[in-house]
Amino acid sequence: MDNGMYRVQLQQFEGPLDLLLFFIRRDELDIYDIPIAQIADEFFNWVRVLEEIDLDGVGEFIYMAALLINIKARMLLPSPELDEEGEPIDPRRELVERLLEYIRFKEASEMIGARQEDRASRFTRRAPAEVEQYDGEEVLFESSIFDLISGLRRVLSLAPESPVHVVSTEEYSIEEQQAYLIVHLVPGVRTSFATLMSGNSKAFIVATFLAVLELTRNGIVALFIATTEDFFLKRMEMDGDEESAYQNVEQPV
Amino acid sequence: MATKNPHIKMWNSQSERYRMQPTTNDSMQSFEAEPDEEGFVVMLERVCEALIFATDEPISADQILSVFHEVTSVATFTEEAVENAVERLNAKYELTDRMFKIHRWAGGYRMATVKAMEPYLRTLFQESRKKRLSRSLMETLAVLAYRQPATKPEIEYVRGVGSDYALRRLMELGIVDVVGRSDTVGRPLLYGTTQRFLDQFGINSLDDLPNLREIEELLDDPAFKRERARLIMEHGLIQSTESTKASD
Repeated sequence: MDNGMYRVQLQQFEGPLDLLLFFIRRDELDIYDIPIAQIADEFFNWVRVLEEIDLDGVGEFIYMAALLINIKARMLLPSPELDEEGEPIDPRRELVERLLEYIRFKEASEMIGARQEDRASRFTRRAPAEVEQYDGEEVLFESSIFDLISGLRRVLSLAPESPVHVVSTEEYSIEEQQAYLIVHLVPGVRTSFATLMSGNSKAFIVATFLAVLELTRNGIVALFIATTEDFFLKRMEMDGDEESAYQNVEQPV
Repeated sequence: MATKNPHIKMWNSQSERYRMQPTTNDSMQSFEAEPDEEGFVVMLERVCEALIFATDEPISADQILSVFHEVTSVATFTEEAVENAVERLNAKYELTDRMFKIHRWAGGYRMATVKAMEPYLRTLFQESRKKRLSRSLMETLAVLAYRQPATKPEIEYVRGVGSDYALRRLMELGIVDVVGRSDTVGRPLLYGTTQRFLDQFGINSLDDLPNLREIEELLDDPAFKRERARLIMEHGLIQSTESTKASD
């Protein structure tokens, strides 16, 4: 990917454990009885889409995919591995423990976040220099990025295949796609990402998706996720005042 | 008022520092011998209020006591006396409907406005948005808060992703810092949270962090494990599920 593409880094959002939890939540799986074969295959398919978005950040996902395949293989062994007491070892156990441990810290981070929110509502005397520097950069959407990528996968699957023998020279920058979105989104009106992208090439769709993330982060676009197959964009009404867009950004997603 | 607080008069009559028994080093005895102990309790309360009011960061009970000692030579009060004084002050504020209160944050006392006034202060300081850290920063911070001091690989193992970016941002925000080096191979840097973290998150000390749920117990409890794991899943992910639903 070229120049502007690096700005979206997956690890700033979520990692491979989050993707596993996303599957578990979406399919209402029993965390103690994860259907590893099925999950390993799907995980691998997702990694391909993730590569389109952030090639550099996908290493951790590939590592996890390999781990899942390893577990899948061990589960197929005719005689299960035994622990010191002769009990059979579930090859998934370590992964499950890790997932539970992660959930535990996710819970904790929510509790600490609630503390911070409460604290931020109480104002103290302060030196001007103390005015906190948490800037707009940190404003991200509330739901999982995988909800969005789920929609992206579906839209990509509908995109026309580019002719095999033509070397693709298509390149779109995030800046261009941001401008494209600003032009094509009517302020205050929700637009389906799938509808907006229909008929466009994969390269176009991926670049536009990245532009969506960028605009969302800047509070210019709000996102609404209804299904696993699509999501909606709404350009905030500006009133010539950028601040008003910021105010709204928290509500929708 | 004047009759109830004799030392106010003394302040007026003595332009220099007010001293009880400047030459005795056992000020405890001399103090207890004095008839106006109650007066000093009231005085401490006033001093607490003034010092906490005037500082723009949490002031510890220790600092308050040492200031009190330096000015009055009275060294008999303990941290508990400061705590009681602050409690009485807070009770008074509540009774008289003051729009501020004294909190215990980062091991000290700090005056802050009540929640109800938030919209007005937000407007005054032109903070249109609530400032929040992204989820990846919050999670990294949580791991660090409970596991500190921790090395980068330790943090990364829990989240399954690299933490360079998150650590750098948290350090820029001054809520995380390098606290030393591990004794293990390669002597990796150890990271921990700062005083500023405690202050900004309204936490008095690391012991006051909300309790982490004991997953290990769940794993070893065959009777409840499935059911409870399911509950944890639902609870832990409830926010993201809710936010997935279309909202308007």
